[in-house]
Amino acid sequence: MKYSKYLAVLVLFIVAAALPNYLGLYQLQIMNFVFVYIAFALSWDMLLRSGQLSFGIAGFAGIGGYTSVLCGYNFALSPILCILIGSAVAGIVALFVGSQVLKLRGLYFSIVTLAIGEIFRVIVRNLEVTGAAEGILLPNAIFMGNATKTYWLMFAIATFTIIISILFQKTRIYYALTSISNDEIVAASSGVNIFKYLVIIFVVTSAIQGMAGAAYWQIYASVTPEGAFNLGFALLPITMALFGGVGTTWGPVIGSAILSVTAEYLKLQFPHGHLLVYGFIMVAAILWFPSGIMGVFKQFTAKFNT
Amino acid sequence: MNVRKIVRVMVAVSLIWGALTTGALAAEPIKMGAILPLADSTGKDGSRSMELAVKQINEKGGLLGRQVKLIMMDDEMKGDKAAAALDKLVTVDNVDIIVGGVGSGATMGAIPGMKKYGKVVVWIGGASGKIEEAMAGQDWFFHLHAWDYQQGALWETGYLEMEQKYGIKRKKTFMAYEEGAFGSGSFKAGKPIYEAAGNELQGEAFKSAALGGGDYRSVLRHAKEFGAESFIWTGYDKDALPIMEQAKEIGFAPGLFVGSPPGWPVDFKNTPLNQAVMFYSYWSEAQGVKNKNSKMYSDAFRKEFKDDPVTYFGPLAYTNIMIVAEAIKRAGTLDNAALIKALEATSYASPMGDTFVFKKSKIIDHQAFASPKIMQWQNGKAQVVWPWEVATAKLIYPFPAWDKRDKAAVPAKKAKGEKK
Repeated sequence: MKYSKYLAVLVLFIVAAALPNYLGLYQLQIMNFVFVYIAFALSWDMLLRSGQLSFGIAGFAGIGGYTSVLCGYNFALSPILCILIGSAVAGIVALFVGSQVLKLRGLYFSIVTLAIGEIFRVIVRNLEVTGAAEGILLPNAIFMGNATKTYWLMFAIATFTIIISILFQKTRIYYALTSISNDEIVAASSGVNIFKYLVIIFVVTSAIQGMAGAAYWQIYASVTPEGAFNLGFALLPITMALFGGVGTTWGPVIGSAILSVTAEYLKLQFPHGHLLVYGFIMVAAILWFPSGIMGVFKQFTAKFNT
Repeated sequence: MNVRKIVRVMVAVSLIWGALTTGALAAEPIKMGAILPLADSTGKDGSRSMELAVKQINEKGGLLGRQVKLIMMDDEMKGDKAAAALDKLVTVDNVDIIVGGVGSGATMGAIPGMKKYGKVVVWIGGASGKIEEAMAGQDWFFHLHAWDYQQGALWETGYLEMEQKYGIKRKKTFMAYEEGAFGSGSFKAGKPIYEAAGNELQGEAFKSAALGGGDYRSVLRHAKEFGAESFIWTGYDKDALPIMEQAKEIGFAPGLFVGSPPGWPVDFKNTPLNQAVMFYSYWSEAQGVKNKNSKMYSDAFRKEFKDDPVTYFGPLAYTNIMIVAEAIKRAGTLDNAALIKALEATSYASPMGDTFVFKKSKIIDHQAFASPKIMQWQNGKAQVVWPWEVATAKLIYPFPAWDKRDKAAVPAKKAKGEKK
């Protein structure tokens, strides 16, 4: 029983690794959506574990995306290097913003993170160097559009995020952040440097979001202000994490996988009204299962054990 | 049964099997894959018009003895979704040709896939010049829309001609534009043209109601303080009504009040605020008075959907399918090279009032587009006021002041040398 959890994870990774042999190009494209949302939702959840509600995913994903595409466009650097630079720039921006705004709490912090995406969207739209409102088109997509290689890239980013999340739960930072989330005054009086730990987790999660956004827009060889800083990138991952169950590693992963695939399935079934049906499903799921799939699963296993 | 009999039976069975499978292949429909933003008015009109065109083709026996099947995918106006839609159409549905397209952002996301597959693409949207640059040398790409730099230049020609005919004053022009690619791109493309024509131009961005905005008072006040003789706004259908309401609220009525959304809201024709508002487009239902193809399209659309098309993407999407259908007929095959050659020979009298013929644009080899038109809302109808050869009404000029609208809503009297 002790090792069954690890065995399940291993099986899951083997299945994911085998998928490109059985999936078509369209299904591989859908898997890119699944992986990018896993990275967004899980990194968002990691910050939430400290009690900070961020709406900055779209902002950092957009910063990563723009940096990565600009690197490729202006300096013809390797796309992988561009993705790493995109991630680093998102992290640096988070460090700068975080050092200023992480003194704020609750709603104030959330509003500032929401503004990040909007501020950068306005900036890139008005700068010639970022292609202004029309954005930038790269001559070629990453790996020359090879779908299997892009699958591996996005799979690697999602796996990296999952590993960081699992490792994170075993570090001192996790305990520090949990104590901050539970009671800041008690944490501070116990010697926890609240500000330092919050900045660290904000930078790490933002860099992950920047990396995912950077890789994502390299696949489409283009970036536009409306696409890269799309508010959907801020709200959908949050819904996915809530749907799967927050505060765990696997909740956001499951939520992202189910809702990303559902969105595409609905599009095929209801070409003219899929967004309406999708919205209804998300609202209904969160209303009826506020603790998410993982919450329901835990309740079920608890009942089963008793 | 001897061996000879067995062989005869086997041959007979093989022949029957062969005939049956050939029949089955013949029954396989020709598949056209369409990518459109289905939740938007352009996509709604476009998808319905494509369905109408396919229905008409199939009623006449289809193409090459086969029925035509239209497979529609929603791009949600997003590049990543357009790319996924393209993958699905090409690899899952195995479509024979790609049609559709509206937004430039969505088109940009689909470009890597288009290049990867190299299928014939006949595209009706994506006016950004960056798309033209990206499509250099791609002989399978056919574009049925004017590029952004072409649109501004052609409409300016119209204004110059109208200035002479109606004595229009427009030395001071104010351009309000939505802050996205569509609005900013239009302003960027139009600025040098207006300035070259001796216009004093001022521009200001606004947040479109389609993207969470909706307050235009500041922009309208600035235009009023500037003393604009001509006011042009570039935004979306959702901006149309609030802009007119807020212009009335602050008493802003310049000589020319021009809007250029891709489509008007369905109920805009019913509001008295629309009187004498001018706009740019490529088609109006009113063209049916002079053009039988346009009338045929409008009548068929109304009969099929009990509704009117509200954007030019309706007849453009219809044209999209018909051009492809005629090319398939000419090619006699779905082979890419033959299809490209057949498309190059296109000469299609479109419901948009123009004959579409592919020519070389600045960069790409295959571009055809309807002539831009200047229109004006008059008594609830969108009338063409320029070019003269397709005009369905005279211009109402100046735009009537808000407190004198009943008396002033009559065609311009300043027309020089005009025959009655």
